[in-house]
Amino acid sequence: MSRLLEKNLSRRRFMGLSSCALATVAVGSQIKVLKSLAMTGEVGELTNLPSKDVFTSCGMCVNKCGVIARVQNGIIQKLDPNPNFFIKSRGMLCARGNAGTKVVYDPDRLKYPLIRVEGSKRGEGKFRRATWEEALDLVAKNMNDIAAKYSRASVMFASSEGTFSEHFFLQLAECFGTPNTVRHPTLCLSSNIQGFGATYGTNPTPDVLNADYVIMSGANRSEALITPDSIDMLTGDGGKRKLIYLDPRFTKTAAKADEWYPIKPGTDMAFILAMINVIVTEGLYDSAFIEEQTVGFDKLVPHIDPYTPEWAAGECEIPAEDIRRIAREFANAAPKAVYYQGRRSSFMANDTQMRRAMAILNTIVGNWDTKGGMIPNSCIKLTNHDYIAPWYDEDIPGRLEGDAITYISEKDGSWPVLRDRALAADPYPIKGMMVYKQNVLGSVPNRAKSIQLIEQMDFVCTIDITMSDTAWYSDVVLPEATYLERNDPLECLGGIVPVVAFRQPCIEPMFESKESLWIIQQIAKRLSDEIYAEFDFTMEEHIHHQVKKNPQILEDLKTKGVYFENTSPVYGKSKGTRLKTKSGKIEIYSEKYAENGHDPLPVYSSPVTVPPNRYRLLIGRHAFFTHGTTANNPYLHDIMPENTLWLNVLEAQKMGLTEGQMVKVRSAVGEQTLKLEITPKIRPDSVYMAHGFGVLSKAQTNIYGKGGSDAALIDEKYCPISGNVALHETFVEVLPA
Amino acid sequence: MASFTKKPGELLWFSLLGLGMLVGAGTALMVLTKGHSHMYNVSREVPWGILISTYVFFVVSSTGLCLVSSLGHVFGIEQFELIGRRAILLSIITLLTGFGTIAMEINHPIRMAIYVMLTPNLESPIWWMGTLYGIYLVLLIGEFFFLMKNHHKGALTMGILGFIAAVTAHSNLGGVFGLLEARPYWHGSFLPLYFILSALVSGGALISIIVYYNYQFRKIPLPAKYPHFLTTLAKLQALFLMILIFFIIWKIIPGLYGRPPEKYEATMAILTGPLAFNFWFFEVLIGMIAPVMILFTKKFVTPFGVMVAGALCTVGIFFMRYDLVVAGQIVPMREDTDGIINGLVSYAPSLAEYGIVLGALATCMFLYTLAEKVFDLEMKGH
Amino acid sequence: MNKKRYAIVLDTRRCIDCKACTVACKAENNVPLGRQNHRNWVTEEEVRGTYPHLGQSFTPSQCMHCANAPCKKVCPTSATGRSPEGIITVDEKRCIGCKYCMTACPYDARYYNEEIEAVDKCTFCQHRILAGRVPACVDTCPTKVRVFGDINDPTSEASKLLAKHPHRVIKEGMGTKPHLFYLI
Repeated sequence: MSRLLEKNLSRRRFMGLSSCALATVAVGSQIKVLKSLAMTGEVGELTNLPSKDVFTSCGMCVNKCGVIARVQNGIIQKLDPNPNFFIKSRGMLCARGNAGTKVVYDPDRLKYPLIRVEGSKRGEGKFRRATWEEALDLVAKNMNDIAAKYSRASVMFASSEGTFSEHFFLQLAECFGTPNTVRHPTLCLSSNIQGFGATYGTNPTPDVLNADYVIMSGANRSEALITPDSIDMLTGDGGKRKLIYLDPRFTKTAAKADEWYPIKPGTDMAFILAMINVIVTEGLYDSAFIEEQTVGFDKLVPHIDPYTPEWAAGECEIPAEDIRRIAREFANAAPKAVYYQGRRSSFMANDTQMRRAMAILNTIVGNWDTKGGMIPNSCIKLTNHDYIAPWYDEDIPGRLEGDAITYISEKDGSWPVLRDRALAADPYPIKGMMVYKQNVLGSVPNRAKSIQLIEQMDFVCTIDITMSDTAWYSDVVLPEATYLERNDPLECLGGIVPVVAFRQPCIEPMFESKESLWIIQQIAKRLSDEIYAEFDFTMEEHIHHQVKKNPQILEDLKTKGVYFENTSPVYGKSKGTRLKTKSGKIEIYSEKYAENGHDPLPVYSSPVTVPPNRYRLLIGRHAFFTHGTTANNPYLHDIMPENTLWLNVLEAQKMGLTEGQMVKVRSAVGEQTLKLEITPKIRPDSVYMAHGFGVLSKAQTNIYGKGGSDAALIDEKYCPISGNVALHETFVEVLPA
Repeated sequence: MASFTKKPGELLWFSLLGLGMLVGAGTALMVLTKGHSHMYNVSREVPWGILISTYVFFVVSSTGLCLVSSLGHVFGIEQFELIGRRAILLSIITLLTGFGTIAMEINHPIRMAIYVMLTPNLESPIWWMGTLYGIYLVLLIGEFFFLMKNHHKGALTMGILGFIAAVTAHSNLGGVFGLLEARPYWHGSFLPLYFILSALVSGGALISIIVYYNYQFRKIPLPAKYPHFLTTLAKLQALFLMILIFFIIWKIIPGLYGRPPEKYEATMAILTGPLAFNFWFFEVLIGMIAPVMILFTKKFVTPFGVMVAGALCTVGIFFMRYDLVVAGQIVPMREDTDGIINGLVSYAPSLAEYGIVLGALATCMFLYTLAEKVFDLEMKGH
Repeated sequence: MNKKRYAIVLDTRRCIDCKACTVACKAENNVPLGRQNHRNWVTEEEVRGTYPHLGQSFTPSQCMHCANAPCKKVCPTSATGRSPEGIITVDEKRCIGCKYCMTACPYDARYYNEEIEAVDKCTFCQHRILAGRVPACVDTCPTKVRVFGDINDPTSEASKLLAKHPHRVIKEGMGTKPHLFYLI
């Protein structure tokens, strides 16, 4: 009986609580959605336009795979993989890519500019529909007011990768005159970039397709999809490949690996140092390569001495004989062997040094820039878009948190540090926040603090395609056209074999959504004439400027959906050239780090022991979702309607918890309630939850009230070298709810 | 119907049934406007729910009434001729209500009417089910017509043909389930046989109820043959029940012995799982043990006692149909199906499904009591 | 020339359970929203072993397009049919919604589609095959688990795979003669 009531309720939800006519149609076909909209006058009548196939790039995550949109009668019926895009995406499209039609035809998408109702509080979600004119005027007025009252630096700009249009938003920040831009890398991979960069002068790409031996630690390639690695991991050379996988969880990558070790979280460096120890003491390294292309190996030899496999076994809980065997196998397979560094590296506060250890291990087996090894990225040159930021006479202070981190990226900033400084107004206040497609409340650890940050702002504006939690807490919300409705600048997708990708509209933008360039130009126009002068171009002009030196690029993009110069890798391009390190060689020993007071060679320190009756909180990805942005997509929601807390079977038995019951998860900074999943697939000392649930925004109607938010639980530790957050340093209690 | 005012009991009876029918009609209207998926709890895994089992309940009743009444005018057991008209009339009514219930269950009854003719599939047990029950209905109506006209020859011919049709149609209904290899709990020759046998129990039970209703409740004076008929009915009913128990035991043993895959899980769902209460309380205790005890106790073999036994049987049989339909589908076809609890998928009827069932039961009783007022159903002697 | 017989050959060792096939199919075939509504699916098999020695397989499936299809046998109005290439089809106009085929299918490959008001199932994307493309699930798969082809053509990729590798079908004992072949 209760099921009947549920059904009625959900139907009523479709009918009543949601204001949009789209919501009454919980159906699969796009045409029915549009028909119902046409009846309410929200879109025009359907017209009989000829069918067409449109090449574009996926915008569901950062991979930007090649897409062919099948458009019939002005409706995007289906997104198919573009087989011409085989270099990067291997002619595939994942669940998210296929769910792209539902980004366009989504009842929950942002349709009109919205202004928070005067007198309502942020987070109450009371918005009124506004005209673009009114909304844009309000944005520009507030930005200028804050600049006048405090300084231009008091308006921060937060943006996310994954669109091709972030460039214009960052340009607006620079032209407006604020140094405080904050991007996603310090929530993701900045320690990776830093650790590998300090060693190689660049963050190379592992040649997974051609490697005979791959070790992955903390890179869940079957679920955190990266093209082409996720695919190449399972194809390659006829089964000779061996995949060693270290992860506290038995993930879908573990299910595909030859060997899986449930490593103790935070001890990867011990495993790597012990591998280096074996390779060095047994003389398995590539001495010619080390001699020729590296500096500091002599310092590594004594440094590595105490890090024996026996010692490491005590730290990482992987048997010493396995470490020794893996080290030997790895060295034997070299140079066609890689220790895969993965992408997200925001695990522990010492992450940069751990990445250094990875880079050093790769270096000493001589896999640099050779088939099956670590390959420096190539790129196809596009003409840069140059602009001159206006000169302001006033004295604009430097980046708020610029002095707190050794190697802070000028554009990326460091989220946790910036937020602390802003809350303390140290050394100056941040009173305005412009957000472009970043979900601050969903992604930055310690959500309570992020809410405080927003609450002390004079003004918050979010440009997005859906009502994210951050948009929900904003004063003005501006609807961007989705990736299938807009032109985007060309972008080179760098890698072992680079390609150029682009976006062109498959249909006209629906409702009142606009291309981001238009939105930014309109804001610029209202800020000042000097700023607008730098934006006085059309997207067409911008794109033609990018291919000024090679018009063939645009030609190929239009006819094939992709531009490339090679189809297979060219190895050894870096041989004989100076690397972008101080010495011009691969730096096993980092002078630079020594000078800045950091360990010049990675020194191991044990992670904090899990306190009694606590668990280490691990977070991670699913192949179905991109961070916190796609869980509400109707197709993807069908696959995974909520997240659960993974707990090891034995621990659940000890606590007397049962499968599927609700549990409270409590950390030092927050508490969340979600469903328990009892599984043998996780270490007994850890619990895991997927990212992207427990949202605050009631406008995410599919997932509001479902699952728990990891951001609300994670205590924001960070890496002092790169400023990257450490997402796995939080301990939680698990209690029956 | 001026007589109502003189009979407040009858008024109450008709108002209650009217209310039930109203609920049924209202629900049916909602189902037709909102669509099945919003109103019913049947799912991908359990596509057949309580409406199918109620349909089976009604058509089994119809068959049972026809078979038991044919003991009289077909097989010449004299006492049973007493109930000929009533049994055949109720047989028609239960069959029609059964059709009504299944019409609310399938999504497109009109398409059915068209395409069973235009593009029949002679391999399909459901096609035969429709066809045979259709023929059976015609024969029942013919039989009733001749009985009312006291046309003995016609009634006999129709009775014989009706008997054959009843056995054929009803064993075929067993085949609708029994021919599904995908559902091991149903699959095999057991169900066609079992359906015929349990129809006899159903028929006997309903006859004992209508007899009591007419002679005690409506105070129609008992004919002289009555006491003899009653003891014969009680004995027969006890016999049917004993055979039914024997059948049930032999349904269970092969389901347990050697733990045959899927069949075992379904049997355990009946014995100890989600259907266990239905089985032990309603099917075994109410539906079989209690009536047998009553019918074997001499002093209880009174019109009231036999009626109580019959009513208990009828309730039990309603649950037997439900449990049979659900148990056959409760074992998932795939191991990671949504919402599996202890290896089984779940089904519980929705309010709307209960509403339709209530409406069907009320309609059936309403039509019967109304018919009692309209037709003269007392059998005149030969 | 032989008559065509379409089939899918699957190498489940490559399946990473990313559900791309399920979403691609829903979008391609306008399958209504809802977890129950799907034409294809990936089964997460039970975890093998005890921590820390674990294993797990993922098995993508859809309608098996059986040569001896129980769903086709039981359909009272012949709404379920078979194309000359062996594809089991449903004529939605003739479907009466009795759901007999759903109880008859041992693979749970069918569901009732409220939008088209008929029972619905995988058609190997017949409309795509006619347009010279492969089924959506085959096309989109990142690791190319599924290979679609005419197994009466000995030179097709599917035929070659079947010739080269031992394979199995699901619930072989049912005698349904399914045409989804899983490489062992």
